[in-house]
Order: sequence, then C-alpha cells, then structure tokens
Amino acid sequence: MTVYRLAARRLLTAIPVVWGVTFLGFTVLNLLPGDAAQALLGADATPSEVAALSKQLHLDQPFFARYGNWLASALSGHLGNSLGSGQPVTTILAQRLPVTFELLLYAFIISLLIAIPVATLAARRPGGVFDSITTFIALVGLSIAPYILALLLILFFAVDLSLFPALGWTPVSGGLGANLRSLTLPALSLGFPIGCFYTRLLRADVLEQLDEDYVVTAHAKGLPGWRVLLRHATPNSMFGLITVVALNVGTLLGGTVIVEQIFGLPGIGEELFQAIQTRDFPVLEGIVVVFAVLVVVIGLLADLLYAVLDPRIRYDNPGQ
Amino acid sequence: MAAVLLSAAAVAACSGKATGSGGAAAGTTAGGTSTGAGASATVGPQNSATPQPGGSFTMLEETGLTGAWPTGLDPATDGNGSANQSYLDAIYGNLFELGANGQTIDDLATGYTITPDAKTVAIHLRPGVTFSDGTPFNAAAVAFNFKRDIASAVGDKPNWPVSSITTSGNYDVLIHLTQPYAPIINTFHDSNVNWIVSPTALQKMGENAFKLAPVGAGPFTVVSDTVSSELALKKNPHYWAPGEPYLNSLTFKSVASDEAALETMQAGGVQGYEGMQTPQLASAFGQQFNVLDVPSTSPYVIQLNTAIAPFNNLNAREAVYYATDVNLIDQRLFGNLHPVTEGFTAPNGLFYEQDVPGYRTYDLAKAKAAVKAAGGVTVDLMATQSSVTQTVLEALQTMWQAAGMTVNIHVDQLANVIQQFQGNKWQASLQTAGAFDPAAGLGVNFRFGSKSVFSGVHDPKLDTLFAAATSTLDTAKRQQLYDQAAAYISQNAYAPFLFPVNGWNIAAKNVTGPGLTTLLPASAVRPEILWAQVGFTGQ
Amino acid sequence: MTTPVSEAATAVAAPGLAVSAPPARGRLRQSLSLYLPAGLLLAIIAACFLSPLVATVSPPTGGSVLNAGLPAGTPGFPLGTDANGNDIFSRLLYGGRVSLEVGAATQLIGIALGGLIGMIAGYSRGLLAAVLMRVLDVFIAFPSLVLALAIAEGLGPGELHVIWALSFYSVPAFARLARSATLRLRDQNFMLAAALSGTPRWRIVLFHLAPNLLPQLMTFALLGAGVAIIQEGALSFLSLGVPPPGASWGNMIAAGMQTMSVRPSLVLFPCLALLITVAALNLLGDALRARWSAR
Repeated sequence: MTVYRLAARRLLTAIPVVWGVTFLGFTVLNLLPGDAAQALLGADATPSEVAALSKQLHLDQPFFARYGNWLASALSGHLGNSLGSGQPVTTILAQRLPVTFELLLYAFIISLLIAIPVATLAARRPGGVFDSITTFIALVGLSIAPYILALLLILFFAVDLSLFPALGWTPVSGGLGANLRSLTLPALSLGFPIGCFYTRLLRADVLEQLDEDYVVTAHAKGLPGWRVLLRHATPNSMFGLITVVALNVGTLLGGTVIVEQIFGLPGIGEELFQAIQTRDFPVLEGIVVVFAVLVVVIGLLADLLYAVLDPRIRYDNPGQ
Repeated sequence: MAAVLLSAAAVAACSGKATGSGGAAAGTTAGGTSTGAGASATVGPQNSATPQPGGSFTMLEETGLTGAWPTGLDPATDGNGSANQSYLDAIYGNLFELGANGQTIDDLATGYTITPDAKTVAIHLRPGVTFSDGTPFNAAAVAFNFKRDIASAVGDKPNWPVSSITTSGNYDVLIHLTQPYAPIINTFHDSNVNWIVSPTALQKMGENAFKLAPVGAGPFTVVSDTVSSELALKKNPHYWAPGEPYLNSLTFKSVASDEAALETMQAGGVQGYEGMQTPQLASAFGQQFNVLDVPSTSPYVIQLNTAIAPFNNLNAREAVYYATDVNLIDQRLFGNLHPVTEGFTAPNGLFYEQDVPGYRTYDLAKAKAAVKAAGGVTVDLMATQSSVTQTVLEALQTMWQAAGMTVNIHVDQLANVIQQFQGNKWQASLQTAGAFDPAAGLGVNFRFGSKSVFSGVHDPKLDTLFAAATSTLDTAKRQQLYDQAAAYISQNAYAPFLFPVNGWNIAAKNVTGPGLTTLLPASAVRPEILWAQVGFTGQ
Repeated sequence: MTTPVSEAATAVAAPGLAVSAPPARGRLRQSLSLYLPAGLLLAIIAACFLSPLVATVSPPTGGSVLNAGLPAGTPGFPLGTDANGNDIFSRLLYGGRVSLEVGAATQLIGIALGGLIGMIAGYSRGLLAAVLMRVLDVFIAFPSLVLALAIAEGLGPGELHVIWALSFYSVPAFARLARSATLRLRDQNFMLAAALSGTPRWRIVLFHLAPNLLPQLMTFALLGAGVAIIQEGALSFLSLGVPPPGASWGNMIAAGMQTMSVRPSLVLFPCLALLITVAALNLLGDALRARWSAR
C-alpha cells in the first residue's frame, strides 16, 4: 500500500490506543491508596477536612463518573486544573514540556553521535583494539545508574572544572549558549547510557549486515570496504535502531524523572513524579496523553521511515 | 548609627522581662494585669557582623522535604505550610518571631495584651505598613486573615478555642477565646496565622492565581514561581524596616538530596542550604562553608499503640524501653550530637526537663525478662520516609531482636503512614512529638491525646493534664503539669523518647543571618530564618 | 530508564545464508566469546547463592551500630561496613541474590506471558490479533515508570512488587518481539505443513512455533535481565525499590549515593558488581545471537 494509506491506517488505529492510555492511567491512579485531598492537606488534617476537600474536588464521585467527566472535557480541549495548585493542566504542560523535550532531543542527539560512528568503526574490525575498548566503555556506560553518572558528571565538570552549572535551567530567552550549557550535563547523564546501549545494538546489527549476501557480492565486485560499510551496511542496520528508538520513547520519560530531580530542571518528569505523590489525576492524565500521542506519532514516523527506506515493506507486509 | 540604636534597644529588651531560658516572656504571671507583655524590642542583628546592602542570594531546599509546594503559597491553602516556612517568611514576613533566647520578637506586630480573665488577646499591629501592592496593612486585613486561617483545612491551622475575631481601631485585632489558652502567642510560630496575605490582592486575583503569585507585607516580592522547582523573589522597596532587606534578590531552588546539595554548593552559584540531615556529610560541608547545628524542639518518640497487641501489655512496652540503647544510637549514628531526652520537651524549647524520675533506661537483662513475661513480642515498626529514620529503624531492630523480640521494620511514604494510623492496626511507629511550646502545633496532644487518630495512647488522665497545662497562663504551673505528664507517660511506659533531631543549615562563608548562621530556637523542626536580615558581609 | 525493546533482533535477523565456516582461530574466538561470559555469569550466580552457605560470611542485616562505618580490610568485614554496621561484602552477595532474582523473574514472566501474547497476536488473524495489538500498543505508549511507581506506591515496597512493576516493561517488549518473529515464521513451509495436516492451532503455537522463537527470546532475555537489574536501582533512587534493611545492588547504590563524596566505596562496590553482571549478560547475549543467526 502507498505511504499515505499506511499513514492514514496508522492514525486511525492510534485513536483507540490513545483512549486506552487515558483509561489505563485513570485506573492506575485510582488503585493508589489515599486520594488527592489527603495528600494535599498533609498529615495533620482531620478526616472531616479531608472529606470536605474531597467533595470540593469532586473526588467522591464514582470512578466512571469522574472518568467520563474528564474525558468529555478533554475532548473539547479542556484538560482540567491541577488539584494542588489550581493551574490549568495545559499551562503546566506548556511551561514544562519544552524543557523536557529539549532535554530529550539533546540526549538523543548525543546518543546518536556516540552510537553511529562508534558502532560502524567497531564493526569494521570486530575483536580489534578499537572494538574491545569501546565495548568495555559501552558496557560500563550502560550499566551505570543515571543518577550516579549525574553526580559524577557534576563532581567532575561543575565542581572541579566549573564548565557547566550543577543545578537549574536557563531558558532560551536567557541566551542560547546559557540554555545549552545548563542542559549539557543532564543530557549527557541521559544520553550517554542510551548511546552506549544503541552502540551495542547497532554494532551487532552492522556485523550481521556484513554477513549478508549482498555484502559478499559487493566485496566480490571489488567495492572498497568503506563504501560498503557506509553506504549499505550501516543504513540497513538503522531499521533496528529506528524501531528501538520509537519503542523507547515512553520509557525515556522515566529517565527524565531522575535527571530532572538531580539537576533541578522544571520539566515534565519532575511534574509527573509529584503528580503521582499527590494523586493529582488531571495533571497525570494530561502528561500521559501527551506522551501517548508522542509515542504514536514517533511510531508512525518510524514506520514511514521504514517504508521509505525499504520498498519491500511497502508492498510485502500487510500485517504492519 | 542605626546598628548602635538597634543593639541598644535589643539589650534593653533582653535585660527586661526575660526570665530564665524558658522564654517565660511569652507568658504572664497569673492574676495580674499585663500590658505589653510582649517584648518591645525591634528585630535586630544577632551577631556582630552587619551585612552590606545588596547582593543576590540563592538558597537550596530539598525536594520532598521543604522544596515542594504543590498546593501553592497561600497560607490558608498550603498543605505543606510548616515545611514551606522559608518561602512564606520571605514573602509575608511574620507578625511575631522567636528570638535567640526564646523570647517573642515583634515584626509586623508590636506586641500583645491579654486581659485578666485571659479570654481576650489583643494583637497590636505596626502602624504605617503597607502590603507590597500598596494596600494598607491594618486590623481589618489581619482579622480577615485570622478568620480565614481558622477556617482553613490545612495541617498548620491554629487550634485556638476561639469564639470570634473582632477589631478595635485601625491597629488592634482582638481574639476572643472560649477559655484561657496559654500557648496562643507561641502558636504564631508554627501555624499559618503568622503570615498575612493582602486581602485586596486575593480578591482581585482569585485564590488560584494568588497562590502562585502571592502578595504580602514581607521583605520580598514574587518575581516568578515555578511550582516545586524555583521561586524567584526580589527586594520589597516598601518593606517597613529601614535598610532591610539587605539582599536585592532571593531565589529558592529545589535540590534532590544532601549529596546533590553539597556538589551544587561546591560548584558555586548558590549560597545556602537549609535542613541538611546526613551526619556523615557535615564535615564535608564544613570544609568550605559555615555549618550551623540547628536542633529541633521535637524529640523522636517510639509511639506504641496501646489499643491493640502487643503493646496493650505493660510488659511488652517495658521491654521496648529496656531494649533501646538510646545513647548508643546517638553515639554511633550521630556522633553524640543529639541530647538524649526522656520526655517530649527539648533543651531549646519551653519547659525542658532533662531527667524524668523513674524513666526506664537501657538494661538488656530486664528487657529479656520483660519479653519473657509478655510471652514473646512480635512487632511491626514503621516510620515516615527520610534518610534518618531508615538508619534509626535498623538500629532499633537490631537492639530489640537482641532482647528476644521479633521485629519487622518498614519505612513508608507519608500517605501510607497516615493510612496505617487511620486503620489503627499499626503497632509501633517512630515519629516526633512536642514543639517549642508543647501545647502548640504538632504538640503533645497530637501524639498522646486520646481523641487523636495519630495517638497510641487513650488515657483520660493524660488528657486532663494536657488540658490543664494548655489553659493556665502560669508558666510555673505549666512546667509542673508537663513534668507530671512526662512522669505519667514514663510510669505507664507509653512511649520511649530518643532525642530531638538536628539539622544543619549551611551557608557560604561570606553570609550572615539569624537562623542561618546564628542560632534561633526551632518552633518545631526547624528555626525560621529571618530573611530580612540575611546578607553578605564584606569578606 | 530505557528498555532494550530490541526489534533489531528481529528486524534484520532474518537469517541470511551462512557464509563458509570461519577459520580455526575464529572458531576458538567464537567459543571463548560464548563460554567466558557464561562462565563469569555462573560464577556470579554461584557466589551469590552458594557461598553464604559454604563459607562463613557475616549476616547482611542486623549489624550492630557499634560497627558502623568500618573501612575495608577490617577482620571479619573484608569490604568494610555501612552506616548501620552491616558487612558490605555480605550485602553484595545477598543483594546479588535479590538483583539476580529480579532480573530472572521479570524476564521469565516476559517470555511466558509476553511471548504467549505475541505468538497469538502474530498467528491469529482478524479481530483477536487486532485487539491484542492495540492492547499491547497501549502498554507501550503508557509511560512504564508511572505503572512501576503506582505499583510500588500502591502495594508498598518489596521484592515481589518490584518484579511485578518491572514486568510491565518486559511483557510488552517480549510480546512485540514474539509477534514480529511469528509474522516472519508464519508463512514458512514447516508452519504451513503443520496447518495443512490438521494440527490444532494451539498445538502449532506451542509445539512448532514456540521452539523456534525460544532462542531469540532467550537472547533478548539476557539483555533484558541486565536492564531490569538497573531499573531496580532507579526505583530504589525514588525509594520504591527493594526496601532496606534487605539488600539489593540497586538500593545499596541509592543509599550509598547519599554520602558519595565522603564514602565512595559504598557506591563503588555495588556499581562494580552490577557492571560485571550486566557485562556478562550482554556479552553472552551477543555471542548467542551471533551463534544462532549464523546457522
């Protein structure tokens, strides 16, 4: 089928998925003990005070009524207000999403800048010196806890070298340079382990590609190794990487929770963690919806990329 | 010149009414008329180095403790009010403050008067003060606030036995009580009545917008508020105290942990951190920064639920007393920093009693015997999540197991802890009890009163003692009653006490400020930092 | 936290024609690359599960506060003690048990549950497949951290709850993997033959399909186990992992982080243990993949 039909089909199937995500989020939050009223008033509030706030926030209504209300207003564009601060969820998202998106983008670029060159070079001479050293570094990198890496980076780059700030975020309005500086250490903390992981993945894929028939043929025809590697093997290995990246988006959010906490970035990961602690379901649902849409969109892009890169898929695979 | 005048005034006040270390100036002698019993000292610098005007200060607060304000910064709706006191102090200032010797210091209020029958308290306000939006700070505004706070649902609301609030003239607010209430002035230090919001701004903005950009009469005004991440404030040019605040801007940033705070301070760009709790890091901080030891006035207590097994049995409770070697915990985990207590009072608070007669101290043999007499003890010991509680629980588990008990420990998030209290199935819990004034705030009633959900003790005799100590203004009598209460608790082995926990406040070496670099007593957990007087010295 | 939802294993693992057998030195290399990490892994497992039974090791919990903060090399405490007086070496061993259990259990649940779902989704056609796929998509699109946090907050900390929470990462991943592999194998001759001979579908799935998928799933599981162990550490950072005083490498790292500046060894040792284990798992997984895709 053509690319357009593929896109249209995927978008259509995305709708129940996004709906399913909101329902799952609501269910999960409801299963948590305590409710927002208790969490917001703190330890010393009397039960009657908690009940009063509960009523005020409509938390005493049954599950489906609350979900129905939320869904109805969400469909008309109103994501509700935070139960804690009263801010509209859309405002919170508008304030915090850019920070996290920039962080994720920066981390992603770092991870690719690490993975693609290193994997390609390592696969050229598997078992060689470069391969062995980078394998070692990659294994260390992906097994280190991101928060330990973060603290080590702060110790080295911020304390000892004073190159980057240890805490806080400078918005772009404060200067692009300052903005990037404030995000570098956090992006490294996230991007380096991911980059190491992608390196391992890509290296294995490139090696497999190098075993394929067409490579043998190319060598037989006298094409130099470099050309084969760069123009055929590596691009063909990207499929695996694209898929992994697309599927990882939802889990990347988890990484941002820790990194944003340590570096004091006012992003969505930190907000998510707070929302769970205070059982602030409008905020939680808002975040979950945004990320579900993001995952779906990226998944669609990945599939489209697949189809564009590999014509076989367009015509061969109706099950996708 | 101003410094000389101010210190002269301070000396005059201190040599006046204050009697002893208990801050008795906070009360009055029984029976007599008292006028202006509140010290008339204005707030003055508490150490010799006077700050220079100017400078930008960035203060770190730990996420999860003080560094989160998900419900905004309106005192009547901020569920984290006591944890958020630094932000609220900076924006709203205070009516009264707690001085270094436990005396009440005037700030936005200039004193108080209590009628002979002790049922009306008049708060005198400072004339000529405006909120930062220009509207007048007067009795009408303060009365509005008091009523709002009393009706609020947050944990730090005042628990006054109040019948009504009225005003008299432009600068006097009258609190009409249904019965005498001794701690009333002390309650200003740990409840939300100390923070006065501008009613005009509140009505104009609406509650939701106001809590994110509050307006008060304090030393600083809000520039930007990124909830639970960063609060940026700037100097309030209309602040009532001349020359104050010294700082041009004050920014609060939330940081993930003590270790992260250490690294951030070492990297530079931040000048202070409050509430450091990891004892092992104190010396690391001390190498480059000023470290101030701030003891709380709320000792740790091992609450025992006397309503159900195993602690409905006196032998089991005694076993806990005998099996706990508090001195060893203090020594090995905290380097002997904390003063071991035997009751709910602490050295920096009122009515401190060091030794409770008949208190059962560590004795392993007696502990084993008590466990045997109880027919074996199996206990589930819980605490609220914090780095300190975890290590203390582990030490307690080891000690109690040595006496033959079977002990299961777990540390939970606050919401789960509350649930367990409400379900009344909890057996033992490590919490804190008491405050600067035991009757105020998270006072003893919270943990020992028979009507409190969070109490393990349901004993009318104890209730009577506490009620009596709350309703008499005679400090000597209150001391006696609290001594009796502590003795009674000890006699019945209701709950062993450990020690009040320290925190540390960290500041860069060129910083000075009361509560930050010099010691002020804590109203419960942490002292207030008097932000109007914080500044950089010339060094 | 990242998950190795590696469709790379499937996307390009369509087995190409094998090239001629590698030279002898290459064969030795191949064997080494397989047996070395396998041996290392077995050694770690043996050390964690068996050595406390065989050798005298101090208990990992219940340490006396008298022994707090002892340095490495103190007699009886080869790597020193933590702030509560517990022996670090012993905590590494017992903590290793917990971490390895978490890793193994989450992957086994993933293979069993996720694999089954994936095979059914891949083999069936029509509504069942579509519904299963949408459900899987929902779980993949939902931030897994929220699920993990919710489970840990809701049920309270505990090793079992951590395993359940982390299974939400592994089950969808295995399901996707199994489905893709099934799609690829579905139209192969041996599958068609089985269908034509009248074998009931459930038998086809269990006895013809599953055995062919197992190698791939196992390889993936090795990588996933490493990731699961790391994720337990992340949960511990948020105070929702295996609860102290019990030890796990994750919670040792999270606790040690509090005093990293002054006592780095508390963090260093569990990090090293984690590194070695994850490295072994990764290298073994790679070697197996190389083996099986070369067939």
